Amino acid sequence: MKNEYLPIRAIVEKISDETPDTKTFTLRLIDTAGGVLRYKPGQFLMLSLAGFGEAPFTFASSPSRDSRFQVSVRRVGTLTNALHKLKEKDIVGVRGPYGNIFPLNKIKDKDILFVAGGCGMAPLRSLIQYVFKNRKDYGRIEIIYGCRSPKDMFYKDEIKSWQDNLNSDIHLTVDEPDESWSGTCGVVCVLLPKIKLNPKAAFVFLCGPSVMIKFAIKDILKLGFREQNIYASLERYMKCGIGKCGHCYIQGKYACLDGPNFSYMQMRKLGIDS
Amino acid sequence: MQKLFITKDKLRLFVRGIKESCDEFIAPQREHLDDIVFGDTQDGDGELLEYDGNSVVSPKAFLLPQTEPLFKINSAKDCSFSAIIDKKKRVFYGVRPCDIKALTLMRSFFFEGFVDEFYKEKMNNSIFIALACTRRCSDESFCYEMNSGPQAKEGFDLQLITLSKGCLVEIGSKKGSQIVKKSKKLFTKATPLDEKEAKKTLSVLTKDVKRINYKKLARIMREDKVKESVWEDLGLRCVVCSGCITLCPTCSCFSLADRLNGNQGIRMRYCDGCPYVGFTRMAGGNMPQPLHKDHIRRFFEHKLNVDVTRYRTPSCVGCARCIQTCPGNISIRKFIESAKISIR
Repeated sequence: MKNEYLPIRAIVEKISDETPDTKTFTLRLIDTAGGVLRYKPGQFLMLSLAGFGEAPFTFASSPSRDSRFQVSVRRVGTLTNALHKLKEKDIVGVRGPYGNIFPLNKIKDKDILFVAGGCGMAPLRSLIQYVFKNRKDYGRIEIIYGCRSPKDMFYKDEIKSWQDNLNSDIHLTVDEPDESWSGTCGVVCVLLPKIKLNPKAAFVFLCGPSVMIKFAIKDILKLGFREQNIYASLERYMKCGIGKCGHCYIQGKYACLDGPNFSYMQMRKLGIDS
Repeated sequence: MQKLFITKDKLRLFVRGIKESCDEFIAPQREHLDDIVFGDTQDGDGELLEYDGNSVVSPKAFLLPQTEPLFKINSAKDCSFSAIIDKKKRVFYGVRPCDIKALTLMRSFFFEGFVDEFYKEKMNNSIFIALACTRRCSDESFCYEMNSGPQAKEGFDLQLITLSKGCLVEIGSKKGSQIVKKSKKLFTKATPLDEKEAKKTLSVLTKDVKRINYKKLARIMREDKVKESVWEDLGLRCVVCSGCITLCPTCSCFSLADRLNGNQGIRMRYCDGCPYVGFTRMAGGNMPQPLHKDHIRRFFEHKLNVDVTRYRTPSCVGCARCIQTCPGNISIRKFIESAKISIR
């Protein structure tokens, strides 16, 4: 009997501090007899700590051939608090990959706009890394990233390397600037006028707080982007990841099976803003 | 389908024989407050071979119990787990047709997509003997209107229909014919008279019954045509006692939690459901559905609209357990009846 709820073990190879309340964990499967986690950008895994429970986290790294992958974890609850206390070489349980994939076949040769807010950068990073890894397959790439304050920004060093890529641009903004900040202030929407790509043919990927997604989509539509080309990675409470527990149910769809990535057209059909 | 006949005395013998061949014999019993409850009657003769009404809790409770261990935590420290396998052979006796339909729906749900092997294993190791209704179980029930009673159409291994001198036996599956074969001598072929009696008993019950046009109802809900004030009223009435989701034979939502004793323990699942405010609340505090009216709406929409699209039948079977238990007097039956007129 295959027990879909039974996690396999992974070792914490590296822990890096991302922001004051977020850490990025590099995990490696211990026993790869059952194969590696063959995930694609946009999918998620269920991460367990025995005694503290289990929660969904999106893969924050681009798929690779080895058994390593990354997740970024913000400290907000019981499990994430426990995860933050882990040390390198500690062991966690994982199962997956679950959920749908960003529409990789549709975005080939297309311009792409990424809009991330706070820890919403984590799910998008798997696709951003993937796109940059296969750079010639894609058109112009623009990234908009907004955070509460400069110190809440994820993947600071990596963001700089994205900036150096040809035919791409990254725009940053913060709500509460500090002395170190000389850039834009305000919500992500203030950066939208800066983007230079043809809205009619470009694809948009959003992830962030639900209010951000709601208002950003409104402005993005005003710029002429097509409804069917806008995708948001939604956050929902999940317990099983396999469409059984019912927590992530949205009008007959399950965020864990039919999502977490929904096109704006689907979102409208399901009656959700974000 | 070939039909058989068994006398009441021989039914007792048949049941004894089955009990010897299974690990748990789950049958209706009358408990001290006169309620009917399903339980394992392996030790003793406590089972009711015939009964009026329906059980307080559906036999769902044995396939998706209130709490159920999913695997062992051998060592919490290094996340070492091992599977738990439930290989018990169960026979469910006297299951009402509404609950049989519910189990059929649950089977579709748990067997599709990522298969819940836990549920599947238990289901595959179980035998279901249905007992058709010869009387309406309560004033509130509306299984006839929902087309899930007074007899089961599928999903049973055997179905008994009580007659004056015994029972008409319908075989619904290979498993069913196998257990009959083992006690061949106890059964006789049903006579045309037996069949006629059964037909008469059942048809009296559904005479003048108006089937609910569930497709039309689903369309009304899908098109968001139920008045907002209806949902608001339902939201006000709900006191989040969770009686409905606990008793509903097709409610299957659950949560997972770890229980440790030192470094060892289990991960278990426990029943959970949409009326609870925290059901969709995420660790950061964000809650996509914070209002009661949305919770009840979700409950009703799932059963009367979404599952009509998914399984071509509503997943409310009309057992009325939720109506009988609701302290706020919420009635899915009245909702169904009124939804068609209170459209906006």
